[in-house]
Amino acid sequence: MIRIDRRLFEHFDMVMLLLIFLVCAMAFFNLYSASFPPKEVGMAPYVRQGYFFLISFAAFVFIISFDYQELHFWNYPFFALIIILLLLALVIGSKAGGAQRWINLGFFKLQPSEPAKLMLVITLASYYSRKEIVDGYTIKELVVPIGLTAIPFVLILVQPDLGTALMLGIIFVSMTLFVKLRTSTLLTLGSLGIGLALFAWGSMLKPYQKQRIRTFLNPEGDPMGSGYQIMQSKIAVGSGGKFGKGYLEGTQGHLHFLPERHTDFAFSVWGEEWGFAGSAAFICIYFFMLIWGLNVAMHARDRFGVLLAFGVVTLIFWQAVINLLMIMGLLPVVGIPLPLVSYGGSSLLTTMLALGVLMNVRMRRFQTSMARD
Amino acid sequence: MNLKPVFKEIEDIEEKDEGALNLLKKRLLGAAVVVLFFFAIIIMRLWMLQISNGPEYETRAYSNRVRIRQVAPPRGHLLDRHGREIVTNRPSFNVVLIQEDSPDVGDVLKRLAPVLNMDISELWEKMRDASGTPRYLPIRLKEDVDWQTLAYLENHNHEFSGIRTEVQPVRVYHYQDLAASTIGYLGTVSKKDLEEVDKEIYNGQDTIGKRGIEKLREADLRGEKGYTYSEVDAKGFEQKQLKTVEPLPGREIRLTLDLDLQQIAESYMAAGDKSGAVVVMEVNTGRLLAAVSAPTIHIEEFVGGISKQQWQALLDNPKHPLLNKVVQATYPPGSTYKMVTALAGLAKGVIDEDTTFYCPGQMRYGNRTYRCWKRGGHGTVNLNRAIGESCDVYFYQVGARVGVDTLAEYAQKLGLGKKTGAEMEFEKEGLTPTKKWKEKYRKAKWQDGETLSVAIGQGFNIVTPLQMCVMTSALANGGKVYRPKIVEQVVDPQGNVVENFAPELVSELPGVERYLQSIRKGMEEVVQGKRGTARNVAIEGLRIGGKTGTAQVVRLAVYRGLKEQDIPYEFRDHAWFTCYAPAENPEIAVTVLVEHGLHGGSGAGPIARAVLNQYFSGKINTESEEKAIPAVIDQQEEGGE
Repeated sequence: MIRIDRRLFEHFDMVMLLLIFLVCAMAFFNLYSASFPPKEVGMAPYVRQGYFFLISFAAFVFIISFDYQELHFWNYPFFALIIILLLLALVIGSKAGGAQRWINLGFFKLQPSEPAKLMLVITLASYYSRKEIVDGYTIKELVVPIGLTAIPFVLILVQPDLGTALMLGIIFVSMTLFVKLRTSTLLTLGSLGIGLALFAWGSMLKPYQKQRIRTFLNPEGDPMGSGYQIMQSKIAVGSGGKFGKGYLEGTQGHLHFLPERHTDFAFSVWGEEWGFAGSAAFICIYFFMLIWGLNVAMHARDRFGVLLAFGVVTLIFWQAVINLLMIMGLLPVVGIPLPLVSYGGSSLLTTMLALGVLMNVRMRRFQTSMARD
Repeated sequence: MNLKPVFKEIEDIEEKDEGALNLLKKRLLGAAVVVLFFFAIIIMRLWMLQISNGPEYETRAYSNRVRIRQVAPPRGHLLDRHGREIVTNRPSFNVVLIQEDSPDVGDVLKRLAPVLNMDISELWEKMRDASGTPRYLPIRLKEDVDWQTLAYLENHNHEFSGIRTEVQPVRVYHYQDLAASTIGYLGTVSKKDLEEVDKEIYNGQDTIGKRGIEKLREADLRGEKGYTYSEVDAKGFEQKQLKTVEPLPGREIRLTLDLDLQQIAESYMAAGDKSGAVVVMEVNTGRLLAAVSAPTIHIEEFVGGISKQQWQALLDNPKHPLLNKVVQATYPPGSTYKMVTALAGLAKGVIDEDTTFYCPGQMRYGNRTYRCWKRGGHGTVNLNRAIGESCDVYFYQVGARVGVDTLAEYAQKLGLGKKTGAEMEFEKEGLTPTKKWKEKYRKAKWQDGETLSVAIGQGFNIVTPLQMCVMTSALANGGKVYRPKIVEQVVDPQGNVVENFAPELVSELPGVERYLQSIRKGMEEVVQGKRGTARNVAIEGLRIGGKTGTAQVVRLAVYRGLKEQDIPYEFRDHAWFTCYAPAENPEIAVTVLVEHGLHGGSGAGPIARAVLNQYFSGKINTESEEKAIPAVIDQQEEGGE
């Protein structure tokens, strides 16, 4: 039986918990508005998301209940499970919008590419913490992490889900840069990456993906097609003005002008209803949460803790940045949710698990070792 | 599960590399900088969208969700002087397309074509014609669809995204083409119209008066558009009505026209397939009771736009139906001008009522011979007989004595040679020639012989039928030239009279009444006299004063001596007859011009007679004429108010 250390409570990060609750609460209220007008059939998105909040919070509590050091071990079965689920998604997954991303569990459609992001963070943190090279990693040491990234990356890319796959790539790049590369390695890999990207544009991108990028570069050129989403999202956010149209008063969302208004474009609804004042407040809280996450990394007791905390921040940060820049028309539509805010059980569960890992690192920063029998 | 070895290993690393961990943690500062950098970008972008461009996006969000639909106002009705409806409205249902609400226009049009019983190419042509229409504005695909089509589209509206029906009032002509040249017609606002009209009020789908009263009184008749503001979702389906501004109907215009007179005059002109004009005017007010231009245009051809072929056919028609001959055509006045010559002679003291001239059937002047229409001559004639029998020689004599400039002066004083100012488009001025005029425009000196031609209404003289009617009225009313008017009353939708008829005196000839009396006696002789040129016009129980006229079209020796029926139509003379009645106390003047009608009395007279008969029917008391007439006038005044 695990005896819970009293210090765990002493070092429990109330600020972080408060920030998470605050963001979740705002997200939930926003989702209530984004669910209007109610659908004729099925559960309203905000109700479903309410259940997901409860489930995710349970998962959050579960994660902080054991020492994050155990993730060194649990990482292996977790990795295996994700790969199996990704393969399953390709074989028996349900299709939607031309992609095969979901595994239907009856009550819930699991999108395994979401937990794959967290899995990658833990995997890389575990590898880089055990294989420490102070002068910077060379290609030789990077073969393993590249391989570990490439497996889920390819499986997600063929779904196809370019956005999530790129997200894995971004996580890998961020964490690898963080642990430091040799300059020569950096140059080699950098030019290799650019070459690969060019090759991908030429041969691997689907026409709709190219169209999205072209549309992003000139959204007015195609107002009824994919540029429509960007246009309507910008109109939604922009029309919020200084103080917004008021809660539940947004017209862009409620009249369906805003696409995907409770998933990828959820923050557009917030921006429309709360204006610059509300949006800036939201962004401040959200980014404070991320900075606080870096603070957790700063005070982590070991390299694994630092890398885990950094990885979790990376995971949430990049998704948030890409999502926000996308809905404000600075990036093409790539289908990346805003963690905690966008509707979606898989994303919420993954984010709460990730934040659980972060809390875990924070709580155990003074523990030199796990409580032993 | 024993994790001890793992942890042991880690603890070793920790102890070994406390410095390395700090080095790693230092890099977190870099990470924080990256986070703050993107934070700043996002906040700046938010500022840009919501603060800098907020108002613009607000407008766009509004126009996104709010559809403003125009509701066409019912156009003002047109009534006759007694309030009988001539032109009103009925609702017409149009099928329109709103591009913004139609994701796949091609598909919708393809499915719509059979429903509307149209060819797909016609629909595409409509789309092309409307190119440049904003995506949120309706493009009219078919007008005035029937009830079945309408019901089908309403029931299947979800299958035809972007297709809507709109209701629009269209004109109903209760008497078909009655007074068509005066009333005019409507048409779709053309690109040229748009340059002239207020773009705030009109768009390319609206109708606008194109001719006649419909055009001249557009501002009164059009009313104000209404609007419905409704909130729509992204698919264009209306969610709720936000606001409705009811259209304000146009003002009702009561014309001075008398339906019965107009009808009878038109039917007489139509009966002989005649070309020409009939004008009936109240001599003491200037009210136009009838204004006929024949042949008439057919308004139905103009509804919904006239085809190029039809338009060309109208232009090529030798009887010029597009011309409103009341004011747009000019003719030599012929003998009807002799009253001008008579007045000039009397006023200048050249003649008096008893002055006589001998008519041998011709007059030698200069080195030319001027003929009288009556070859055998009229013998010795005084003014009365000269007018009654239309002796040319008498007026040659008078004309030669007063000179052309004096003739022109009196012609102008009687309303000739200048626009009457009636509310009719493209009115011609006509011409009362003077010496100066000839020198200026013809670069030639006036020949004295030409004065003789002018004196009997030939030569350079030209007048419009309306001018002739105004002149006749002035002769009848003691020298007052009234502006002919066509609008009796304009009433706004609340029932307020915004405009009421009032006589408008243009000019007056003072001190001529006794001369006019002499002239009128002659004019009575024309109809009532035993040898009058318009004896056939006489109506029992009604004294009429009038004058016939024959306007020469060409003076070709070829046709001289030919029987009239043998002269080709287009070279036959025009027939004038102008008159007023009752002679004792004139009420109305009637002017008839029949193009190529040969003789005033026979060609134009019967039409004037029919009009007079209609006007005075029931008012003529053959038993006690003297008493009846004043009673009739009282009644008339009562009826008019």
